[in-house]
Amino acid sequence: MIRVDQAHIRNFSIIAHIDHGKSTLADRILQATGAVSEREMRSQVLDSMDLERERGITIKAQAVRVHYTAADGETYQLNLIDTPGHVDFSYEVSRSLAACEGALLVVDASQGIEAQTLANAYLAIEGDLELIPVLNKIDLPAADPDLHGRAVADLVGEDPDRVLRISAKTGQGVDEVLEAIVERVPPPAGDPEAPARALIFDSVYDQYRGVVAFVRVVDGAFAQRDRLRAMQTGLVVEAEEIGVMSPAMTPTGRLGAGESGYLVTGLKSIGDLRVGDTLTVASRPAPEPLPGYREVKPMVFCGLFPVDADDYHGLRDALERLSLNDASLRWEPETSQALGFGFRCGFLGLLHMEIVRERLEREYDLELLATTPNVEYQVTDTAGVRRAVRSPAELPPPTSIELIEEPYVRCTILVPQEGVGAVMGLCQDRRGVFVTMEPIEQRQQIVYDLPLAEIVLDFYDQLKSRTRGYASLDYEIIGYRESPLVKLDVLLAGDTVDALSMIVHRDHAYARGKGLVERLHKTIPRQLFDVPVQAAIGGKILARETVKAKRKDVLAKCYGGDISRKRKLLERQKEGKKRMKQVGSVEVPQEAFLSVLRIGDDGRNGS
Amino acid sequence: MSGVRHLYVHLPFCGSRCGYCAFVVETGSLAMRDAYADALVAELEREGERLGELETVYLGGGTPTLMRPRRLRRLLDAVRPRLAPGAEVSIEANPETVDRRALAELRAMGVTRLSVGVQSFQPHLLAALDRAATPDQARDVVGCARAAGFEDVSIDLIFGIPGQTPDDLEADLGEAVALAPDHVSWYELELKPGSALARRGLPALDEDEGADAYRRIVAGLEEAGYRWYETANFARPGRECRHSLAYWGAADYLGVGIGAVSTVAGRRWRNRPGLAAYVAALARQEAPPRTVEPLDEDDLRRERWMLGLRLAGGLDLAWAGPPDRPEALGRLSAAGLLESGEGGVALTREGRFVQNAILHELMEYA
Repeated sequence: MIRVDQAHIRNFSIIAHIDHGKSTLADRILQATGAVSEREMRSQVLDSMDLERERGITIKAQAVRVHYTAADGETYQLNLIDTPGHVDFSYEVSRSLAACEGALLVVDASQGIEAQTLANAYLAIEGDLELIPVLNKIDLPAADPDLHGRAVADLVGEDPDRVLRISAKTGQGVDEVLEAIVERVPPPAGDPEAPARALIFDSVYDQYRGVVAFVRVVDGAFAQRDRLRAMQTGLVVEAEEIGVMSPAMTPTGRLGAGESGYLVTGLKSIGDLRVGDTLTVASRPAPEPLPGYREVKPMVFCGLFPVDADDYHGLRDALERLSLNDASLRWEPETSQALGFGFRCGFLGLLHMEIVRERLEREYDLELLATTPNVEYQVTDTAGVRRAVRSPAELPPPTSIELIEEPYVRCTILVPQEGVGAVMGLCQDRRGVFVTMEPIEQRQQIVYDLPLAEIVLDFYDQLKSRTRGYASLDYEIIGYRESPLVKLDVLLAGDTVDALSMIVHRDHAYARGKGLVERLHKTIPRQLFDVPVQAAIGGKILARETVKAKRKDVLAKCYGGDISRKRKLLERQKEGKKRMKQVGSVEVPQEAFLSVLRIGDDGRNGS
Repeated sequence: MSGVRHLYVHLPFCGSRCGYCAFVVETGSLAMRDAYADALVAELEREGERLGELETVYLGGGTPTLMRPRRLRRLLDAVRPRLAPGAEVSIEANPETVDRRALAELRAMGVTRLSVGVQSFQPHLLAALDRAATPDQARDVVGCARAAGFEDVSIDLIFGIPGQTPDDLEADLGEAVALAPDHVSWYELELKPGSALARRGLPALDEDEGADAYRRIVAGLEEAGYRWYETANFARPGRECRHSLAYWGAADYLGVGIGAVSTVAGRRWRNRPGLAAYVAALARQEAPPRTVEPLDEDDLRRERWMLGLRLAGGLDLAWAGPPDRPEALGRLSAAGLLESGEGGVALTREGRFVQNAILHELMEYA
């Protein structure tokens, strides 16, 4: 293990809009510094989960140490701290950046600045990081490095000549990137003699070793067998092993000021060591934790129910196991009259929800029904008591509600001039409040305040389709605002289906209810009896359709040679019915529940 | 005397395969007919000890009449000693393959019942089904059968043919009634996997159009004096097909010939469809290649319900055994879909149109 002094350490991360080449550049850096051999090289070494690889996005941040001998003949320790690539995980991004002194801001040379480029750049600038602008993909025919180089230089306040031009794919310019890291990123400034402090910027659960925390040591030093104290949660635990990722886990016995690495704790729950918390040594604790800690709160909630009621315990076990490695996943038992026993789960955002659901179905072989996602409302009742409501079922009757507040986000959308009308139309439809618009590069930056609930349905898809993919989006939570919201119920054959209820804006209730009823009408198959499908607020029916009873359902002919075949046909039909939920007297296919999610613009006025 | 009382004989030869057909048929192997007749007689002899006095015999196909009278006679000679007095002996025939003389020969060798594969009287619908007969041949054959002395004549018709309009259906209904057969089988066209029509990728009939057609057929034939005695079958009183009734009553039956299915004492087997292997095995005095299907008591009970509810008279509970979900009986009865009492269960008229859905309410097919 090469030892270097603090002046020869560089901690940096790579930030970029999705698909601008962050992971490819990370791979190249590992290769160029010999951290991984050609043989070991897999694409996106740092993304360890299959799902990440498939979706091409980074979920868990990690730190990798490499050594680089620069043009000045000195050997430097470079710690690459990877950051998650999605807005759902922006808090993790900010903690990863807090562990660095510099960042590579990677921008696609054919596409230029996008919304997450801006968001990440602002985060880095706020954190006082040295930003090294990098134009990637200059080998593409559509690359326009002069145009986009000027814009990126403007954004970070650099001279255009200082914008690096590279192709992570071909390896062109990667050496210049390494030199720039050494030259421009300042060495860490912590006090090696002060009481030890380290920032936890990520943690993972390993089934053999327990919770592994990824840390950046700011002051002092940590040694194996030290007793560690988490300063926010107060938890004390022994450092069973200390080391660095290079990129495999390599024990070093010690981590000093300025260094990044990992700590093995043997803890059983990842919630015990939270991202953003500060670790110190219990025998000589630091007086103050590092700034910036906050508890990550789920923003989006939905009910998850097993299609087969026998899978309930399997689902609980799977959630428990996922929670070991995902401190932001929340869940509690929920009972639905329509769907039986399941769980109300809380997620950081829609992507997080989709990832968890996909993992449950894929890794744990569960077939699930998910209810319409909703946000967390604050409801003040007529007695003046304010409380959180995370499910439409928890909403008190209208007469005892004084007011309802819902979370708002500030959305920043970058779009070419010709897409401005479409974006503003969409934002208006979704109850947006215009904030500003200003040109950035060749495009307009449009800022709207929008209810989070309007974003979690299908806002991103709509944005992409209405701007033919040219708009990019970033958003941040800005707090709660009062809204005239109501609970929209769905009745099948006269009975309310609790799992299909949703909280909507009063002015959207009619259109939403009508669209909902039409979709259900299309997806619920004809049954032995007429099935009225209704949407209602309180007792008031807003819309109604009827699924007409079957008028013919027979097996055409059945003689001696057909009997087995017909019985097997009945068995196959029965198998098909198993994928339906029996809701009261009505058989409802999964698609009916899913169709509620897709209630997009045909259910809205004016679009 | 105990033993199997119902015999099916499969005669697979056809001039060509029709577009909707997924049966075991043989086209272009007419040279095998003598060997096949020998094999049938051999299989019948092998299975002879299972048989009691035969109450019904059904010669189905394929196109049985392509066996020509000579071979059919050889076959019926082998069967005749086993027939009970007054036995029903049915044969299927396509209009273009029989004339008055051939029909008279069939009657003379002991065939009592003729089932004519008409399918439609409309030229464009016959073309859509790849049927070789003309509407006139179809009309003639019923008269010829009467003249040849057949007292039991049935015609087969199909609805739900691609391109069939409500007017086409009315025309078929009118023609069918005018021919005054004793029995009518009228099926909805099934696009079976493996048939040419299924491969042509035609759209499935709209559910309401299909329901309208089916209900119109039932009403039209009932008006003309036929009783809707089974899901797809209509007969003048006393002219029901006894062989088919045996199937719907879950009686034991023996099937001989390629692809034929037998169910005897809770055991079911099916001869494999290969013609050459069948003929060769029986020439060696061995059993033909067969596939045995295991059946348990639940399978059989669920089949009894599946079959019994097809009949206008329904089923006897003591015979059929209990439904898997007896609590559904009350609900279906209250909805006017089913009547139960005196140990029996039958579907109402409305219930019969949705028999399949009712079965799923009552039984757990698994």
